Amino acid sequence: MSEPTASPAAIRISGLVKDYGRVRALAGIDLEVRRGEVFGFLGPNGAGKTTTIRCLLDLIRPTAGRLEVLGLDPRRQGPELRARLAYVPGELRLPERGTVAQLAASIGRVRGTLDPDRRDALAARLDLDLGRRLRDLSSGNRRKVALLLAFLADAELLVLDEPTNGLDPLMQHEFLGLVREARDRGTTVFLSSHVLSEVQRAADRVAVLRKGKIVAIGTVDELRGRARQRVEAWFAGDPPAAELERLPGLEAVTIDGRRLWATVSGPVQPLVETLGRHPVVSLVVEEPDLEEAFLDIYAGRP
Amino acid sequence: MNAADRWLELAVGPFRASWRAATVWSVVFVLMIVGTVAFWPAFRDSDALQDTMELVPAGILQAFGLEDLVSPAGYLKGGLYDVVIPLMFAAAGVVFAASATASEEDAGRLELWLTQPVGRTAVLAGRIAAVMGWLVVLAVVTLLSQLASDAAFDLQVSNARIVATICLCTLLGVLYAGVAVAVAGITGRPGPVLAIGLGAALVGYLVAGLFPLSDVLDSWAWISPWDWALAGEPLWEPTDAWRYLALGGVSAAMLAVGLVAFARRDVRSA
Repeated sequence: MSEPTASPAAIRISGLVKDYGRVRALAGIDLEVRRGEVFGFLGPNGAGKTTTIRCLLDLIRPTAGRLEVLGLDPRRQGPELRARLAYVPGELRLPERGTVAQLAASIGRVRGTLDPDRRDALAARLDLDLGRRLRDLSSGNRRKVALLLAFLADAELLVLDEPTNGLDPLMQHEFLGLVREARDRGTTVFLSSHVLSEVQRAADRVAVLRKGKIVAIGTVDELRGRARQRVEAWFAGDPPAAELERLPGLEAVTIDGRRLWATVSGPVQPLVETLGRHPVVSLVVEEPDLEEAFLDIYAGRP
Repeated sequence: MNAADRWLELAVGPFRASWRAATVWSVVFVLMIVGTVAFWPAFRDSDALQDTMELVPAGILQAFGLEDLVSPAGYLKGGLYDVVIPLMFAAAGVVFAASATASEEDAGRLELWLTQPVGRTAVLAGRIAAVMGWLVVLAVVTLLSQLASDAAFDLQVSNARIVATICLCTLLGVLYAGVAVAVAGITGRPGPVLAIGLGAALVGYLVAGLFPLSDVLDSWAWISPWDWALAGEPLWEPTDAWRYLALGGVSAAMLAVGLVAFARRDVRSA
């Protein structure tokens, strides 16, 4: 294994293009993930997140562009690189035979690391029965196996593709704990997701991907400020329509009797202050789906 | 934990994964051999059967290797080693290779291993070793059941000739497993692997079996690996070394094509 290079970047991607026949899956991605940060890679399904990750792992080869992961070239130094990273795929396809413990042992032999105490402790945290047969596992339990194998590897870089898909909220919480502990140990985490809330709870910085291009990159707070939220308010009397329509960032205002729907982008404080001056019976502010949340970013508007 | 353990794991896992299929193949080989040899005493002693064979046209007898059914070696050739056993080895080679490589890739199960600290070539080489391991196991099962049946039913063919014939049939299986690995390396799709692998085995058999019946085509029968393996009449004559080398050489070339092609392309996602 070579010495880690002095490069401050854990992942450096420049001009990454990937074509499948005539379909362009990645249309020129430039990205730098710093060592030790939790980096969110956000985008709707089909945006190119998994394609990017598969390039990083050398499962697929870029059509154009340069990749450097932990200072190594995934194509030429694949085994060396993969010794220092661990990967949780979007959907882990497991061997048909054997138990979770047998698989962990087998992967341990290939990786050259096997710590039964750590394995048992992690399995207990994930509430995963090591004696279960692989072919009998539910999708949630398969996901736990993927997390077990990845966190057992004690890697410098964790590449997680939609890691909480199929996990119950309790396990999602446990997962976030594992990610934070990994970061505290200095591990870099590359976390792909189509769920804004998941990324925002874990990540330091986020890139937003759409149709094979990065459309925004920044800290979670910066992006959060640019995202839209959906607002629904019930008033005791008529909603103050004229006043509301003048508010900056409030769009798609619909009023039906005493009920108001709208979307708000940017800070919500002006809206909350306005609502505070009126008799509001109930108020719901919810996160819309990603496409809607980043409509401005996707449309290329400032 | 060292590198040897790592490489061993890449072969042992796929080897273990095929044990059920290998058990079924072994049972079929044993049944075919014992079932055929068990009729030898009755056949040897029956004039009526031999008279019947004399009515069959010479060309048909030649195509199916039935020219000399009255001698022990002729009986074994006609009943087992002209078509059945080599075809079973070829089919087993293709099926084992397809299920260890392209089927696993198609189902997305190869990815778990390809994202570990090993090269793609090592992952595929481990699977090739597993396939070869099972073909050797089938060869040993075939040899033992043949020798035991020969002793039990008093069929006398030299052990050396039996060993050579089974080696050649096994190499034929290795060669078609190599074809399957080459197609798997290039495409990663189980359908083409099975179709091309089994198709090539069948075409090879037809070329070696039917070309000699035609004056025009007879001189081209050598293009078939079946001709290299079996045209030297290994149950009667010592086999020339070039026959083993040709089968082994083409097998190695096919496996190399599979390894190189697999290392150069995108891995398919499930």
